[in-house]
Parts: sequence; C-alpha cells; structure tokens
Amino acid sequence: MITKAKSILLSGSVLGAFAIGGVTLVAVTQGSVGERIADNQYQAMKRKLDTILPAAQVNNDPLQDHIQVSASELLGAESTQVYRARQDQSPVALVLEPVVPDGYAGPIKLLVSVLHDGTLGGVRVVSHHETPGLGDKIEEAKSDWVLDFTGKSLTNPPLEKWGVKRDGGEFDQFTGATITPRSIVNAVRDTLLYVQQQGETLYEPLDVDTTAPASATGGQG
Amino acid sequence: MPNSVISSPHVPRVNRVDRVMLDVLLALIPGILVMTWFFGWGLLINCVLAVTFAVAAETVVMLLRGRSPLIALRDLSAVVTAVLFALSVPPILPWWLTLLGMLFAIILVKQLYGGLGYNPFNPAMAAYVFLLISYPVAMTTWLAPAGLAEHPLSFMESLRLILNGTLPTGFEWDALSSATPLDEMRGKLDLGQTIEQIGQSQTWGWLGGRGWEWVGVAFLLGGVYLLWRRLITWHIPVSMLLGLTATATLFWAIDPHTHPSPIFHLFSGAAMLGAFFIATDPVTACTTKKGQLVFGASIGLIVYVIRSWGGYPDAVAFAVLLMNIAAPTIDYYTQPRVFGHGSART
Amino acid sequence: MSAPQSYGHILSGGVWSNNQMLVALLGLCPLLATTTSATNGLGMGLATTAVIVCSNGTVSLVRNLVRPEIRIPVFVLVIASFVTLVELIMQAFFYDLYQVLGLFISLIVVNCMIIGRAEAFASKNRVDRALLDGLAVGLGATLVLTTLGGLREFVGQGTLFFQADLLLGDWAKAISLSLGDDFHGALIAILPPGAFIGLGLMIALKNLIDQRAKRRQVAAQPASAQPVTAPT
Repeated sequence: MITKAKSILLSGSVLGAFAIGGVTLVAVTQGSVGERIADNQYQAMKRKLDTILPAAQVNNDPLQDHIQVSASELLGAESTQVYRARQDQSPVALVLEPVVPDGYAGPIKLLVSVLHDGTLGGVRVVSHHETPGLGDKIEEAKSDWVLDFTGKSLTNPPLEKWGVKRDGGEFDQFTGATITPRSIVNAVRDTLLYVQQQGETLYEPLDVDTTAPASATGGQG
Repeated sequence: MPNSVISSPHVPRVNRVDRVMLDVLLALIPGILVMTWFFGWGLLINCVLAVTFAVAAETVVMLLRGRSPLIALRDLSAVVTAVLFALSVPPILPWWLTLLGMLFAIILVKQLYGGLGYNPFNPAMAAYVFLLISYPVAMTTWLAPAGLAEHPLSFMESLRLILNGTLPTGFEWDALSSATPLDEMRGKLDLGQTIEQIGQSQTWGWLGGRGWEWVGVAFLLGGVYLLWRRLITWHIPVSMLLGLTATATLFWAIDPHTHPSPIFHLFSGAAMLGAFFIATDPVTACTTKKGQLVFGASIGLIVYVIRSWGGYPDAVAFAVLLMNIAAPTIDYYTQPRVFGHGSART
Repeated sequence: MSAPQSYGHILSGGVWSNNQMLVALLGLCPLLATTTSATNGLGMGLATTAVIVCSNGTVSLVRNLVRPEIRIPVFVLVIASFVTLVELIMQAFFYDLYQVLGLFISLIVVNCMIIGRAEAFASKNRVDRALLDGLAVGLGATLVLTTLGGLREFVGQGTLFFQADLLLGDWAKAISLSLGDDFHGALIAILPPGAFIGLGLMIALKNLIDQRAKRRQVAAQPASAQPVTAPT
C-alpha cells in the first residue's frame, strides 16, 4: 500500500510529465512553423496596405517604417500607428489607423492612406459593429461605398461639403442608415486635417531602421 | 342573446375564442382607418395579402398534421396575427416579404409549437423581427404621412409598388419615403440637435410625429374598447405604458434637451398598438395579475432602452418577444398563494 | 465493464444515433458561432476532428497510467496541447481561414464534446476503438457543422461553399455555387438567431427520420409486435 505522500507525489509527477510533454509538443511546433506564421501575418497586412497605396511608386516597406502618434481629438484613439510609404527616401503616402468613436453601434476601425499631395489613396474598414444589412455596407465586401473616398481631398470636395448628402454634403448615405456613413465621412475628414496639420513631420525621421529595428515587426499585431 | 333578463350571480359571460378575435379585429378598425388615411391604400392591400397568406399557410399545415383546417381557421387567430403584422410593417412592403413573414409566423412560430395556445412567442411580432433583421432596408422604408408626402400614392400605384416593385413614374424612393418620427429623433439627436430644434421641423405635430400621433390615438381608442368589453384587463397595457412613461420621464427630467418627452414615446412607433393588442396576447403573456404587471412594466422599460440605445429603430416587437420568453418564469414566481398554504404551489 | 462495442456500432453511434451535436447537444458554442458558411463549418469540423482523434488516442494510450484523481487535469492538458497545435498549423497553412475562425479554434479546448469522449469512451477502451470513436464523433460533428453552415449560407446569401478555396485549394472553386447578386437572402440566417433556428430544424429533421425508421421497423414485424409504439 502506498502512503498518502507517495500517492500525491506520484500523481503530481504524472501530471508534471504530461505538462512537460504538452509544452514540448507545442514548443517544437511553434519553432518549426513560427516563421511561417509571422510571414503570413506580415503578408496579410501588406496585402491590405497595397490595395490603398500606389504600389508601383513605393519601394520601401511601410510595415517596417512606422511611427506611433497620439492625437485622440482627430484620430479617435489614444495612440495610432502611422506607416510611411516612400520611393527612394522621398515621401509617397501615409497610412493611418484612425478609430471612429461614434458609429451607430460602437467604434469603427479604419485604415486610411493619404498620399503626399493630400489626396486619399483609399479607405478600408478594419472592424465594426454596425447593424447587419444597414450599416455594414461600409465593408468593401458588401458594397463599393468606401471606394468613393479614393482620390478625394480637403479641397475636393471643399471642406464644407465633407458630409453625407442628407446633411448637404457630397457623400452618399445608404438607404435606411445615415449615422454610420456620416461618422465615417467625419473621421476621414479629421484624418486628412490631422495629416495637413502635421505636414512633413509625419515622414520624419527618414531612416527608422536605425532607431527601432527590433520593434518594427512587433508593432503590427 | 336569447335571455334578456339575467338573474344573479352575474358571472361574466365565457368568451369564446372566435368572439374574442372578432372583437379584437373590430377594435383595430379605428387604427386601420387612420393609418390608411395617412399612409394610403398600401396598408389595406397589405392586410388583404397577409390574411390570405396566413389562412393559406394555416390550411396547409393543418392538412399536413392530418387535421381539419376549419378548426384552426374558425378561431380567426390567424387573421388577427395577419392584421397585426400588416399594421406593423411598412405599407408598401413587397408582397413576397409579407408571404415570408406569414409563413414564418404561422408555420414556424405557431404550428410547429403545436398551434394556438402552445406558441411561446407572439407570431406577428416574431415575423416582424424575422423580417426586420433579414431585410432591414425594406422594413424601415416608411412612406411619408399624408400632408407631408410629396406624392400620395393612388390605389393602383400602391398595388404596383407592392406586387412589382415599380415606382410611380417620375418619382424616386427618396421622394416617397420618409424617416419615422423615432428614426428622425434618433438621427437628429446623434447630430447634436436639441429636442427643441428637432420639434420645429414640420414633420412634428402635437403629440409626436405628424400623422403618427393620430395612429397612436386610434389604437388607444381601440384599446379602451377592448377594456370596456372586458376582453383584456388593464394590467398589461397600463403597466407597459407606465413603465415606458416612468423611464422616459426620468431621463427627460434629467435632460429635456437630449431626451424626448414621455408623450413623444407614448405616441410614437408601436407603443399603443403594442400595449393594447400585442403585449396582451393571452397565449404569450403572463397569466397571473402580479405577473402581468411585471410583464407589462418590463416591456415598457425595454422599449425605452432599445429605442434610445439599440441598433434598430422601434423596439416594441423586440421587447414583447423578450418578455414572452420570460413569461413562464414570471408566472412561476408570482402564483397567488393558495389560501391556508404557506408558499406558492408548484 | 460492459462488452466492448463493435466497430460498426461505434461508427454509426458517433455519426448518427448518438451524434454529439444533434443528440447530446454538446459543443454548441462553436456550432452556433462558426457555421456562417459551409466552408467555415467544414473547417471547424475538420479542426475539431483532428483534436478529438488525437486526444482520444492519447487518453486511451495512457488510460492505465493516469490515476483517477488527476484524470481530468490530464485530459485538459492533452486537449489544450492538441488545440494549440491545430491552431498553429492552421495559422501556418490556412491563414485566411484562420482569420475567420481564429477565436473559435482556441475555444475547442472547452468543447465539452471532446472532454466528454475522453472521459466517457477513450479512458475505458482500447486505443483502436478510441481512435475510431474519435473519428466517428468528429465526422458526425463535421457533418452537422457543414450542413448547418451550408443551410445558413444558402438561405442568408444564396451561395454554397463560397470561398471554399481558402480551405481546400483552388480546385474547390468548382464546388462553390452562387445564385448571383439578385438573390435576396434572409440575413437572419447568417446572424446568431439563424443558428438556433437552423439547429432546431435539423434536430427536428433527425427525429423525424428516426421516427419514420422506427415505424417502418415496427410495421415490418409481425402483428404481435404492434403495441410497441415508442412513446413520443
């Protein structure tokens, strides 16, 4: 008959053995596919950026060249990433990740690219909670609405026309939903205003690879 | 009645289901007339279509269940469901949506649970919610009420719109449709306007949105008729309207600039229709008196919450369905104590 | 211990008569959350099957080693390891599908179906039976998930196996079907209520089929057996 202590010890070591076995299994797998996963994540983000950037003109890697800015007033979030696209050190475009705080049902995350001349390279909705069938037409997969932003700027249409048609602006609203498009139009306008305010500073410093090489890939999550 | 002199005891006459349903239909008439006046022929066309589809669906299911369809049809419950549904949906709803709604209401919500008396959810409201979630654009496109409409639809124009989806020549949807008062209120509040600014628009009347306020009054009248005929008791309608009023008053008192008055809430959307005709459905509501008070008040509260912060414009249907599912539990906890016993019978 | 079940019995039980989702109603969280399309359902089903076969096999192998007091933590460890493994592999090879199912893959850990099979079957049976049981149960689950996914997808947006190439490779474009953009789908089917309604209809259909089969069985037998109609 085994004593109590012995029994506990035995159970404990069996449990421990399983834990070690499990962790080893996971660690080995992680080690062998980890690089592939990182590459997948990187490619997915890159594909997203490529759709709203003039890919032909960009020859740096915006995902490696990014800074963190804080402008909750205009960008909606405490801190946002700004990815910088360049061609041989000269600025081409910025990609920002503003958050629309006043969607119909919670915040909406956007991806906005602003070309160096102040026009929009494109807008995409990253995540949202809008009413299915009404507000969710902001998704590129559901409707072309969000593509209308491409090529617009603070002078085209003029600033006072940056609104939905119901408010006398230039942009379409959807049948049955005004609040969602309205808040997105405002957020995109604010993003443009922010970029205009900041001017060239957003493209500095030129060479981030020397300042933050290690953290560059970590920031994409 | 054969006996005109009735001696005591004056036990209330036992109501038969078909008589009750007929009276409910009678009580709906003022509301139907007022809505037709404001929103045109489409409403009546919808009523006819919905009744036809509901009766057909009921017949088919009863035949499939190997029973005589007449038994189910004679109690008129399918007709009441159809009419309540037609009064809740936009008056120019495409016919196939009415068909889908009625199939859903009669087959899935009513007959699959065993028919009248066994359904846990109000069929008309379940169908309304089913369509609202599935086809939100069609279900929220309301016509502008008479007096505000650019072009009131004629009978043939309404018919063509419902059956074919053809707009009258020279008109766009935007010219015919208009936001409901609840929609307009919510939208303009989101824009940062105050209640006073919103109220100055010509779409506002005396109690609520123009046109809509009279629809509410008409259903209130019908409801009073039902109370007078003792087909419903006061518990559910009064507690529901009080629940809505109390919540609305609270927020209105805190800030009358950004919260519409309780009067607006009472005479907008389906509050009156819901209080007297929908929440009182004897099958899906609570049966104990105390339970009915809890049931009604909770509906009123939920209506306010969803209207103010929810994702869809009106809330009566959602609130009623939510409380439908809670009704058995409420009944369980509010059973009257049997005299001489310590606790509720289980 | 009762006599071990035959292979055929294990298989039919896992896939149909004791289907963990339609009969035991286990694993409803992934069932309701991921079945917005046939492809998602199939992906989730395959991931679940992989985990359940591995965990059943492992649990059966170590069943005489593990003392009863610690069996549940051991099961959880085994299952969690395999789920993490599946998650990593999916991230590495089916990244697009992972983005859709991501959150729910890790939730396979708490899928009662898997720990239920480990406890109720694998810990009491030889490894060959345990593996077969895992496969059968996984297959049953995959079937339900794919059917429900297909149903919801078809009613909701008029397509079937839309984007199946994410999971199965380019040849799968041939099996994806679409009714075109003019189809007015009932959005509710893709939303959570649609999952409940769809599942309810599927359970009803299964019960109907079983009832019919039983009635036919009774009818085929001689008259003496007639009073044995099952109470419903």
